[in-house]
Amino acid sequence: MSTATRLYLSNDTSSRAAGAGVLADAWSEHPEVQLIRVSSRGAFFLEPMVERESPAGRVAWFNVTAQDLPRILSGTDGTPVRSIPFLVQQTRFTFANFGETEPLALDEYQARGGLSGLETALRIGPEAIIEELRVSQLRGRGGAAFPVWNKWKVAQQARADRKYVVANADEGDAGTYCDRMILEGDPFRLLEGMLICARAIGAGQGYVYCRQEYPAAAKTLRAAIQKADEAELLELDGEPFPIEVVEGAGSYVCGEETALLESLEGKRGVVRARPPYPAQSGLYGRPTIVSNVLTFATIPNILSRGGAWHAALGTEQSRGTMALQLGGRVKHPGLVEVPFGLSLHQILEQFGGGMAPGSRFKAVQVGGPLGSLFPASQMDIPICYDAFAKAGAVLGHGGIVVYDHETDMVDLARHFMAFTADESCGKCTPCRIGSVRGREILERIQAGSGTIEDLALLHDLGDTMKIASLCALGGRASYPVLTAIEHFPAEFRAKLRV
Amino acid sequence: MTPQLSEILAQVVERPPNILKALLALQERLGHVPTEAVSDIAHALGVPAAQVAGVLSYYPDLRLTGSGRHLIRVCMGESCYANGCGRLLRELQDRLRVDVGETAAGGKFTLDTMSCAGNCAVSPTVTIDRDLYGRLLPSQLDTLLERYK
Repeated sequence: MSTATRLYLSNDTSSRAAGAGVLADAWSEHPEVQLIRVSSRGAFFLEPMVERESPAGRVAWFNVTAQDLPRILSGTDGTPVRSIPFLVQQTRFTFANFGETEPLALDEYQARGGLSGLETALRIGPEAIIEELRVSQLRGRGGAAFPVWNKWKVAQQARADRKYVVANADEGDAGTYCDRMILEGDPFRLLEGMLICARAIGAGQGYVYCRQEYPAAAKTLRAAIQKADEAELLELDGEPFPIEVVEGAGSYVCGEETALLESLEGKRGVVRARPPYPAQSGLYGRPTIVSNVLTFATIPNILSRGGAWHAALGTEQSRGTMALQLGGRVKHPGLVEVPFGLSLHQILEQFGGGMAPGSRFKAVQVGGPLGSLFPASQMDIPICYDAFAKAGAVLGHGGIVVYDHETDMVDLARHFMAFTADESCGKCTPCRIGSVRGREILERIQAGSGTIEDLALLHDLGDTMKIASLCALGGRASYPVLTAIEHFPAEFRAKLRV
Repeated sequence: MTPQLSEILAQVVERPPNILKALLALQERLGHVPTEAVSDIAHALGVPAAQVAGVLSYYPDLRLTGSGRHLIRVCMGESCYANGCGRLLRELQDRLRVDVGETAAGGKFTLDTMSCAGNCAVSPTVTIDRDLYGRLLPSQLDTLLERYK
């Protein structure tokens, strides 16, 4: 085996879907190959991508098939990873390890600075941890963008016999996959973030609520928890801090924090009215911090580098970096971590590489299935919370999906409303009934029997759902539909009965 | 209660009772959750039967009937939508002669949809059992289905 060449190949679910699994099968017994299964760099358009070491750093081969092995072994035609524009233009902090390390190698995680945030946290204590987060101006990355320090402060000050830390790994927004990448690719970063939180608020138990659609993520995470436990990391102040992975059962609303807690308790995943907020009264009525996976994974760097370091990145109201996830008809779909503030146009051109071959741009949706659509004329909008709020849009969890000229906007609008009708938990009448009526109206328009009044009705319906729904599903369901009508009115009018 | 059910329930009941976990564990063993078992499950958990029925009817992944030997799910997420998941779904419906949620004659495949597989950068996506396929073209479906016996 000493003559075998070490080849790095991602074991991420999407890498395997792109063909990494086929390569691994073909090469696993090859005497000249020592295969190292790492996390993915997130440049999925280049995958399967195979890398090997060189004196000048890693060298990569793109869109590899098993027949490419001879040229990889002879070192022919490789591209230095440092010269891949999609990657070198990024600012990777939370995703710095991706493509470099084996997900379950705790020693590699530590060698690259892992656990130093936790060390700081253990040294400085709860008050100072929360102060660092306040200085950092970190806002939750799951969609609601609430200041993290504020939430932690509430939970810290709450008096209770037990407190909980819950990682929301129910990444249900279509078009998003950065949480899945973290769970599969750098699970110790999530665990470190959860431990820091537990230390700050005084929690004795952690849960990761992982969606059923992510079996590889749950498996990797369970293995990481076991390794962390063996390394005696799951302990705080001499008390155990066990972390359990609980799998969901296919409900989108369970990504909403209160529905998630209901589901974690084994009940129907129905939204609770807030207040009380989970930080005051969450899981089993105890103070609970529920944060998204990406949020927890951002925290170790803040503790090790300092809150001021984080606050120096990004824009006035949006500090730090954001993990944007490109999908749809863009030429270069993949993960982009950059400081807040770049324009949507820059993201799609500089990183997305423009449109996929044969496609012409029609619209882009930011923020998952409840996110607004943007036409070509609105591409200057900066990627940050304030600019999106001003435009009545949301950044959500950072999903960006590009639609091309073949997209039928009426059908897309129906698709959005059908999603809400399917996924509504049923608690709020405007969402439960309104989404079904909305879908029916759009089906009517699609069938050619809609009228101009139907368009007005969709607006009314959207307003009612917005003001009278407890959570963002009802509150935002109309946005993609109404922005489709706003920006592509001719397509809707052409289908109306005259 | 059948001895099999009571044996499984004895293994899956936790304190405090967690209905969803118990139902998922039961489904893992039986392939589905039989409706006639609701009252036994409720009894074992010490909760009202209505609560068990409520949880059972709420979650899309809890099945009341068994599925085919293989479960095909077409991702309907937005990236898959932009990349033609509709064509894949229609093609599968035609080939298997089933609608969404149905099991094909012979019991080999059940066809279903999912809202997002998190494979958006390598879409469109179809999962078969625990395997996931990306960048799928309708023309590749025949070869793909042949792999499953």
